[in-house]
Amino acid sequence: MAKMKRSPSSSASASLALAVTLALPASAQQSLETAFRTTGEAVTSAFEPQRQLIQKSSAVIYEGRKEIAYGTIIREDGYILTKASEIEGREKIAVRVDQDFFKEAHILMTDPRWDVALLKVDATDLTPVAFAPDSKLPRGIWVIVNGVTSRSNRRVMAGIISADAREIPPEGGAVLGVSLKEIAEGLLVEEVTTGSGAEQAGIKKGDILTAVAGELVIEMDALGKLLGEMKSGTEVKVTVLREGLAIELGIKLSARGELFREASRNDEMSGDFSRRRSGFPRIIQHDILGASATMGGPVLDLEGRTIGMNIARANRAETFAIPVEELRALAEGMLRQATESLTPTP
Amino acid sequence: MKYALRTFLVAAACIAPLLAFPVNAKKAPESRADLLAIQSALLAAIPKAQAATVNIDLKQGSGSGVIVSPDGLVMTAAHVSSGVGVEVAVIMPDGTKLKAETLGLDSETDAALLRITEKLPDGKPFPTVEINKTGDTRLGDWVFSLGHSGGFNKDRGVVSRIGRLVRMAGSTIQTDGALIGGDSGGPLFDMDGRLIGIHSRVGKVVGDNMHVPVNVFMEQWDRMMNSEFIGQGPFAQKPEKGKGFLGVATKPAEGGIEVTKVGKDSPAERSLKEGDLLRTLNGEQLGSREKLQSILAELAAGDKLTFEITRDGKDETVTLKLGKR
Repeated sequence: MAKMKRSPSSSASASLALAVTLALPASAQQSLETAFRTTGEAVTSAFEPQRQLIQKSSAVIYEGRKEIAYGTIIREDGYILTKASEIEGREKIAVRVDQDFFKEAHILMTDPRWDVALLKVDATDLTPVAFAPDSKLPRGIWVIVNGVTSRSNRRVMAGIISADAREIPPEGGAVLGVSLKEIAEGLLVEEVTTGSGAEQAGIKKGDILTAVAGELVIEMDALGKLLGEMKSGTEVKVTVLREGLAIELGIKLSARGELFREASRNDEMSGDFSRRRSGFPRIIQHDILGASATMGGPVLDLEGRTIGMNIARANRAETFAIPVEELRALAEGMLRQATESLTPTP
Repeated sequence: MKYALRTFLVAAACIAPLLAFPVNAKKAPESRADLLAIQSALLAAIPKAQAATVNIDLKQGSGSGVIVSPDGLVMTAAHVSSGVGVEVAVIMPDGTKLKAETLGLDSETDAALLRITEKLPDGKPFPTVEINKTGDTRLGDWVFSLGHSGGFNKDRGVVSRIGRLVRMAGSTIQTDGALIGGDSGGPLFDMDGRLIGIHSRVGKVVGDNMHVPVNVFMEQWDRMMNSEFIGQGPFAQKPEKGKGFLGVATKPAEGGIEVTKVGKDSPAERSLKEGDLLRTLNGEQLGSREKLQSILAELAAGDKLTFEITRDGKDETVTLKLGKR
């Protein structure tokens, strides 16, 4: 069958594509009814105890009427973690928890390394998730997440732990998102890539880049070396000369593979995957395939404990979640920072 | 004591068939106990199944396969092996890369065999899985898929996915798990960790996965072991006669034909040199350049060539394989 292009998410060699074919004609007695399939109601109803926990502790995040992400409730007074890149740049976001609707949610802060945002809604008695002691789980352990949402009800989807926990390096390394040319004064910006961190930071064509992360860069090689040691999602300080003036700006580094995305054959078959799906310090992997708007919610085990938070639908066969160890540290760290900054200093 | 033990064994033998498919006894799991039974079965079966699931590294892309004999016989898909007698590499889950050669394939059902031709570094037999030859697989059975999704990745390891058997139709069975490129040729297991199919293709919708059932392999087993190319496609194309590529230029010479040029990166490059006198090919005298052409016209890419040659005054025999043009 057709051979496929190199997958940007994998440093391994390109893989053979599975041929895409039309389903065979259905013959009633030889075909399993929808309700009894893995995602069917007859199967998911066995996960009712876990569904009740998801009903209370998995938030649904909206822009207008559109569901854009799920969230993980970490404190009863309205603190919720979600996937940052799915909610950034949205006009106004609202949140539903159980059957309560919060018209306004504030983004208190984001952690670009993990692509996590901390949200706050005006609530007092939410039910935070119960963290599992660790995420050291072998392949085959059941995992349960929020699959589908209606106004009043959350429905679950179940799957299993699929692979070893690991780092997902940025696709193709970190980039500023500019085309540069060496000139006497530094590196001249010839073009700014649409959607890049450089564009968001306000870098303009004609700016001259002179320093990155406090180091002088007047040669392309020096810049390449510097960026080679950095991770996408992190912010780096740069100095540019504009009309003779030196300006300091913070640029969020993009992953080359996500900025200049070439859809591979596997991507074409993968449907609605997450825009940001690489550059995570560590993830656990499962086989539940929700849409990109279902990331950010808790991943439960059969005991109803949270073993992680969904962070990227990577492709047609792989979903990544932040492991509970790191999730817990993130939650505690962000809560501490958020509440400290709210307390007036004497 | 002896009596007690025998009673126990008899009892165990009676219970065993009842326990064989506890996870599939109900049409759907109803309780925590039912879900735990599925989870326990997976936890017990996956490690052994995973150890035998290999990546098949082709020069252009990769697929998956599963080892079914201690001496390194691998079941995979015909669209992965893509031909008979093709040299490929097999990567074990721990990253050990070994040479392998494809055996026969069934181009109509997408079944294929290949053999690992190198030993493991520790000399131990290969890890294997058991093939379920009983035909007791039923619609609705819980299953799990393994494979090197998107290519080999040592940090990630083999990817496992759960699903149910949702359709059975002749030479195809369908499951509702999740497969992607790179999984092709990988194994599908029942909850006892027995092989029931090989991943072949997917539908447009996530959760439509087609597999070649093991009985299709069993039917063609001897022919595939015998390196036959079975059928007319669509999963593999038979190399066409006369379309093979050797990559030498020759001129007439005393006692045969003389090599005047060897093409760069051609199949001849490793075995033949400029100035070699080619005397016979596959036992036939090479009296003229036309004779060489007429022998090659009856052969296809992948076919073996044995030349008797004279090089620097010495007689030698060299073998090589005809390549693709």
